[in-house]
Amino acid sequence: MASALVEQLLNGLTIGMVYVLLAAGLSVVFGVMDVINFAHGELFALGAYFGYAVATVDGGGFWAALVVAPLAVAVVGAAIERYTVRPLYGRNPLYHILLTFGLVLVLKDGIELVWGPRPKELSAPAVISGTVEAFGFTYPRYSLFVIGIGAVLAAGTWLALNHTRYGLVIRAGSMDREMVTYLGIDIDRYYTLVFAFGAALAAIAGLVLAPRNGVDPGMGDSVIIPAFVVVVLGGLGSFRGAVVGGLGVGVVQTVMRSYVPVLEGLVVFLLMIGVLLVRPQGLFGDPEFEEAGDLFTASGGVLTDARRRQLGVAVVALLALAPLGSGVLYSPFLLNSLFVTVLTWALFALSLDFVMGYAGLVSLGHVLFYGVGAYVTVLVVMHAVPSVVLALLVGVAICLPLAWVIGQLSIRVAGVYFAMITLGFAELFAQIPNKVTQINALLATPWLPTWLRLPALRGNRGLFGIDPVYGLTGGPGVGAVQVVGGVDLLYYVVLAAVVGSYLLARRLMQAPFGSVLQGIREAEQRAEFVGYDVTAYKRRAFVVSGGLAGLAGGLQALADGGVSTSYLAWIQSGKVIVMTMLGGMGTLYGPMLGAGAFFGVKEFLLPVTEQWQGVLGVLFVLFVIFVPEGLVSIPATVQARFAGGPSGGTPVEEPDPVDREVGD
Amino acid sequence: MPRDDKRQGVVAGVDRRAFLAAVGGSGLAGLAGCTGLGPGDGGTVTFGVVSPISGAYSSLAPAQRNGAELAVDTINERDEFSFEAEMVTGDTETEATQGRQAAQRIIEQDGADYLMGAISSSVGLALNELAAEEEVVYNPGAAAVPITGENCNEWVFRAETNTAQIAEAVSAYTVNELGTDVWFHIADYPYGESVLNRTRRRMAEANSESAVVETSRSQLGADNYDTFISDIGNSEAEVALLGMTGGDLINFVAQAADQGLKDEVEIVSPTMTFQVVRGALGPAAYGTYGGVRYVPALDTGDNGDFVDAYESEYDATPDNFARVGYQSILMTGAGIEEADSTDPAEVKDVLPDLETETIFGTNRYRGCDGQALNPTWMAENVEPDGGDPARVELLEEVSGEDAALPCGETGCDAR
Repeated sequence: MASALVEQLLNGLTIGMVYVLLAAGLSVVFGVMDVINFAHGELFALGAYFGYAVATVDGGGFWAALVVAPLAVAVVGAAIERYTVRPLYGRNPLYHILLTFGLVLVLKDGIELVWGPRPKELSAPAVISGTVEAFGFTYPRYSLFVIGIGAVLAAGTWLALNHTRYGLVIRAGSMDREMVTYLGIDIDRYYTLVFAFGAALAAIAGLVLAPRNGVDPGMGDSVIIPAFVVVVLGGLGSFRGAVVGGLGVGVVQTVMRSYVPVLEGLVVFLLMIGVLLVRPQGLFGDPEFEEAGDLFTASGGVLTDARRRQLGVAVVALLALAPLGSGVLYSPFLLNSLFVTVLTWALFALSLDFVMGYAGLVSLGHVLFYGVGAYVTVLVVMHAVPSVVLALLVGVAICLPLAWVIGQLSIRVAGVYFAMITLGFAELFAQIPNKVTQINALLATPWLPTWLRLPALRGNRGLFGIDPVYGLTGGPGVGAVQVVGGVDLLYYVVLAAVVGSYLLARRLMQAPFGSVLQGIREAEQRAEFVGYDVTAYKRRAFVVSGGLAGLAGGLQALADGGVSTSYLAWIQSGKVIVMTMLGGMGTLYGPMLGAGAFFGVKEFLLPVTEQWQGVLGVLFVLFVIFVPEGLVSIPATVQARFAGGPSGGTPVEEPDPVDREVGD
Repeated sequence: MPRDDKRQGVVAGVDRRAFLAAVGGSGLAGLAGCTGLGPGDGGTVTFGVVSPISGAYSSLAPAQRNGAELAVDTINERDEFSFEAEMVTGDTETEATQGRQAAQRIIEQDGADYLMGAISSSVGLALNELAAEEEVVYNPGAAAVPITGENCNEWVFRAETNTAQIAEAVSAYTVNELGTDVWFHIADYPYGESVLNRTRRRMAEANSESAVVETSRSQLGADNYDTFISDIGNSEAEVALLGMTGGDLINFVAQAADQGLKDEVEIVSPTMTFQVVRGALGPAAYGTYGGVRYVPALDTGDNGDFVDAYESEYDATPDNFARVGYQSILMTGAGIEEADSTDPAEVKDVLPDLETETIFGTNRYRGCDGQALNPTWMAENVEPDGGDPARVELLEEVSGEDAALPCGETGCDAR
């Protein structure tokens, strides 16, 4: 029994060390440069792939790979910092999400292009393979090797940060970049070095994990979220936090797996949420550490209010008349599938913008409401009433209180921590469809009513085979009613719901509620001093936003004829953030435009290249560097340039865009 | 009617039902693309193939697409087919929404009347629904039982072997030959649960002495299995039966081999012999056991021709996904010939129980659920002469009739 526990502890330390290597790079890069690097997982994968290439070439081998791969990835990291991250310094870390999201797509497609999609095998050398007898039980040598190399590197990094001149400058730079520059030190050079070093650590992590876990293009995805959790748990920018967090998460995860199996997949997120609720800055984070940087909300552009309204009405009118061209100018696919998806995602992006663009709350867990809305809508159609309208309403009705509870818990933490705690909640919910049996077993106690138990959700298979109708209890089926040109009536239902939601959001923003919200975004403390209950306002915005996201999910599920776990996958949160920023946050129509642009560009690229995701990634990177205020800012930027005014990339000095958009 | 009349299909491009309703049952219907034409008239049939080119299953997609492409070429080359075939492709992104959209694009925009593809269960189930809505014949590449079970419909015909068929091959051999004390470890999602339920029941029926030592579950997509491996090694189990696939299975077996678990128990998994799994595991796969849906070495039916053609075209040996892509389209093609029509509504009526020559010999889609009666095998991964990926040595065959669930147990009420 005791030996089994020791064995599990060592198992935990092994994976924990890999987390430490990953999180150390991530955390130092964030601490020094404020960069939230989602591409860190891809650098980890790149390390494994470079290692595979070196190890399998003649004259190569594992040990050569261990030296060459990290250096190669460090060069890639340095290039990424120099050419993509550097233009963004001083901006809100949010932009790095869009940037590094783009880089993820580029690197992943690059890896598949070079090495193909099939997993590769990389064996460890004989000297560190097999098992060894120690303290009365056998243990794999390779795990001991991972623990050893991790410990050496972690200790080395700590020494370098605390006892070298480089470390001194880097630590100073993380506290006050300007002061270090005034002292005559070229801090940019150090930043490149830090980024390259972080990349090298990730590469080593990828390489040492490869003989255990194989090498495949998805390996970056599987570690990036746990790595972020470790960083946040330990405290952003804290090296000590990364070490304690990494080992802690590794050990707790492994031991709980054996002793409390029902928590499998949940424990990491529960741990993070628990720690953040008690210590909002993480275990070793600096509570003062909250330098947000510039967040560009889009400036309204060159149009007057009246003209903008006319344009909006014209767009809606065009969409309403579009079915007339179906079957003549284009196939019904365009409206039935593509436009319906664009519209539901436009609504999803609008819902996110409501909190992100107007209240400054970057929610990485918005997919929770989208997914719950979708699941509830489908479940209502399946088990209660088949009515489309009622099912959507119930979906929204469930999301509202859910958003209140999650908002209540999350809003007490700020900035990146808020993003991560919402992500944590979303990941907990994402596990529910796969854990219905276990959850119901826990709920199967005599003092709890049976209606509390969950219905079957069938995990990743999803719930398909629904027959929604347009009436309240019966009437024509959703798939059966078409208007003209083979266009489903559902297209109009979605259009009406999205336009209605937009008008509702616009009305709320015109009301005093909206003004206060924007005031909070601009100067939270000032709003508080004036006497507004800042938290309550934010929470209300979060509730409205959750409801709208739920409606978006419900509509998409109806269009898809069912729902599956991909509706709850965190990557959808990433996508919707990208769309919002692409369009221009802080304007209600910008994110909707962003959704259209996202799917439009994809539709354009699909027939052109199989590497469309990589091309999309390149576009994101260029976009975030050159058009940070989003698509809606382009006309104003162009006009300003021709008038000899400020160029793109700098905020245009204009009256508050929001007032102009929503004001009369 | 010109041979290259895909454009006409696109003209109509229009949803077929709407268009046909508009032109009524009159002779004009013949103008709506090639639907309604007999193949002898030289019509062109558009096969839509949607595969997970990106997303979690991207490693499996190229084989599926290649197999389908080879089948389309075969149709165009062989005299036994009197129609021309063409193929349009799409990316499901291993996700239901995108998969449905890709398929809808192919059907409504490119005029495909026949759909093949998907590997993930949720995408397959979503496409089941779409096929019924759009009234196209669909051949799923996913293996989940409900696709031809409780979610079946009259438009769906599956040439892929489902998980129940393969569990049949694994269960009896394991408890009769490898060991009676079994530790079940599954990935915590419906596939894992279905493997658990099915094999546990069939093992108990096959050998009354079989016993479940314990059942453990890991999260889908987990990357660290040390805990379970230690627990299994410290138990009385003789066999570890793994209800997991893809990356999960690869990681588990690699780590188990690393910790020496193969010396203590026999490791069995329904998908252990998959080419992707063997390729990724290398020597770690030696000595493990698994079910077989297909291996190129089979001497059944016209497998030899298929393997030769595939190897010369793609310079690689075909795996099961390639077989499914190939077989799906050829079996549907045989249906088109039999119906003497390219109209999917007529083809779907002749496909049930239509006997055709296949890679597995004479085979058919069963009338009660649309599932092809594929045989399955139990096999061991053995060290090959040349090193690296294990060779699959077949141990025992279960015939197509015996491997399939009895019609009464499929849950397919819609046919």
